[in-house]
Amino acid sequence: MRSNKGDGTMKKVFLITIFGLLLGGCSLKEDAAELYLQEQPLHAEVILPETITSEEPVPIKVILTQDGKKVDEVDSVEFEMWKHADVIHATAEQPSVLEEGTYGINKTFDRDGLYYIKIHASKGDAIIMPQVQIVVGELSKSELEYLQKDLPEKEEGHDHHH
Amino acid sequence: METVINTTTKSDVQQKSSLYRAVWRWHFYAGIIVAPFLIILAVTGSIYLFKPQIEQVIYQDLFEVTPQGEKIPASQQIEEVKRLYPDAVISKYRPGENATRSSEVGLTVNDQSVTVFVDPYTGKSIGELNSEDRIMDKIEEFHGELMMGTIGDRIVELAACWTIVLMVTGLYLWLPRKKPNMSGVLYMRWNKGRSILARDLHVVPAFWITAGMLFLVMTGLPWSGFWGTQFQTIATNSGAGYPPSVWVGNAPVSTVTKDIAEVPWAAETLDVPVSEVQGFIPVSIDDVVQIANREGVHPSYTVFLPKEPTGVYTLSAFPPKAEDEITMHIDQYSGAVLTDYRFEHYGFIGQVVALGITLHKGTQFGLINQLASLLICLGIILVAVSGFYLWLKRKPSKSMGAPKSTSIKNMKLFLVVLIGLGILFPLVGLSLIVIFLMDVLLIKRIPFLKRFLHA
Repeated sequence: MRSNKGDGTMKKVFLITIFGLLLGGCSLKEDAAELYLQEQPLHAEVILPETITSEEPVPIKVILTQDGKKVDEVDSVEFEMWKHADVIHATAEQPSVLEEGTYGINKTFDRDGLYYIKIHASKGDAIIMPQVQIVVGELSKSELEYLQKDLPEKEEGHDHHH
Repeated sequence: METVINTTTKSDVQQKSSLYRAVWRWHFYAGIIVAPFLIILAVTGSIYLFKPQIEQVIYQDLFEVTPQGEKIPASQQIEEVKRLYPDAVISKYRPGENATRSSEVGLTVNDQSVTVFVDPYTGKSIGELNSEDRIMDKIEEFHGELMMGTIGDRIVELAACWTIVLMVTGLYLWLPRKKPNMSGVLYMRWNKGRSILARDLHVVPAFWITAGMLFLVMTGLPWSGFWGTQFQTIATNSGAGYPPSVWVGNAPVSTVTKDIAEVPWAAETLDVPVSEVQGFIPVSIDDVVQIANREGVHPSYTVFLPKEPTGVYTLSAFPPKAEDEITMHIDQYSGAVLTDYRFEHYGFIGQVVALGITLHKGTQFGLINQLASLLICLGIILVAVSGFYLWLKRKPSKSMGAPKSTSIKNMKLFLVVLIGLGILFPLVGLSLIVIFLMDVLLIKRIPFLKRFLHA
């Protein structure tokens, strides 16, 4: 009798343990990534006027941050720009430091159309190359069609650097 | 005086032999149930071990290309595949680890997952392979889930866990009880008649492969669906496992989520404000390839394309050697490396598991690794078959021929071991509960079953 009771208790503990494991399961902690190697990526915010017209200087600014703080000493920052379907004539410009972590240029676009600006920035191992699409004046028919083709990538097959 | 000594000796012997019978009984039933699965696992495992060589032969036409000049950018190769499959959703790109390896574009079309092999020098497709048709994938599915999805995965896991019970009980039965004599224990007795040979063919090889078998079970369990996922989650949460997203957990998200350029849908007119069309657009796959080269990612990597606006490019390589593994996430709008997890960044348990996996798959040390694993697989088949034969040879026609069950009182230590295993491997625990309930509710109450199972 006594031993039966002992077995019963043992079984109960056993059952509870098993069901606890089965029902409770475990889920991944949201901050588990903090226990492992973490990168310090650069983050870019690009500031553009609401509307951009051709033949007048347009202020283009980028605010670079790292870990939520503005980065005032980048290793390199460069604006690469080209018109849609004309990546061969891409130009690159060094922006000037406007304030802490803010870099900018004044760019005059000759013609209306769809343009791209790729910002190359680096600080140590953190390297980024965000790319923005901008509309200067009116879009041509072919540019509009291109946008509607759902092809967000840069045109293919050209060397990007000049 | 004499009688007293005799009785103690007798009851001592009785108790020992009833424990022996109890262990034997568990070994017997577990063996009969698990043996077929062990044979399936060993056979499919033996084949899957040689996946690299087998695929190299059967897919040679798709894998090999002749180098000529420069490789064409990834974006153009993908464009060509898009032209061939206009309705497909491209999901991944694999550049190929060396100059003579084709590149691969993975896509989904009509709910089928297809790999298109591209000659990176001409940019032309050289063939396609439907995932459904990849024979080695079928073998892997058979090995991991008996082609039955989640249920199969749990069955395989259960069989693997019960293999540990078999090894524990088997080792107990194997322990020499008389004076140390190594024949029939460590080496075979070939000339002592057929029954002894049959017995030795089970016991002796089983002892020799136990370590290897335990190794295969323990290195296989971490990728099982139930125990493995729990184990990996606990390990990752503790900081000692794989970093999140390598095995369990999600990839980070792209940090730029506002200011993304929208695509105007209406034809011929700009139906959204200009400010919506202006904004970030994803970096191209060519930039991603460039980042991979810059960061020294192992050349066998695959790029998984972002599936949604907040998604990331995931670069992942699991080459033959665990030390070369990498999982990298890249922000799809800025090209920033968000995480770069390599073997050296895994926690200790993660490193052990990763090494276990490449050893289990036979890739870590190449051919020698494959042959060693094959030997263990063949040993498992031999032990399972000889165990089965031992049973058939001894089985009476009207019952299972199991050793008589004994009262639970005689097997306290064994019960503790079983419960311990049941807690360590909840599926074993669950099956123990099922066995216990079946015993109480059915076997004990139905005379035929009681007789047949010798309960």
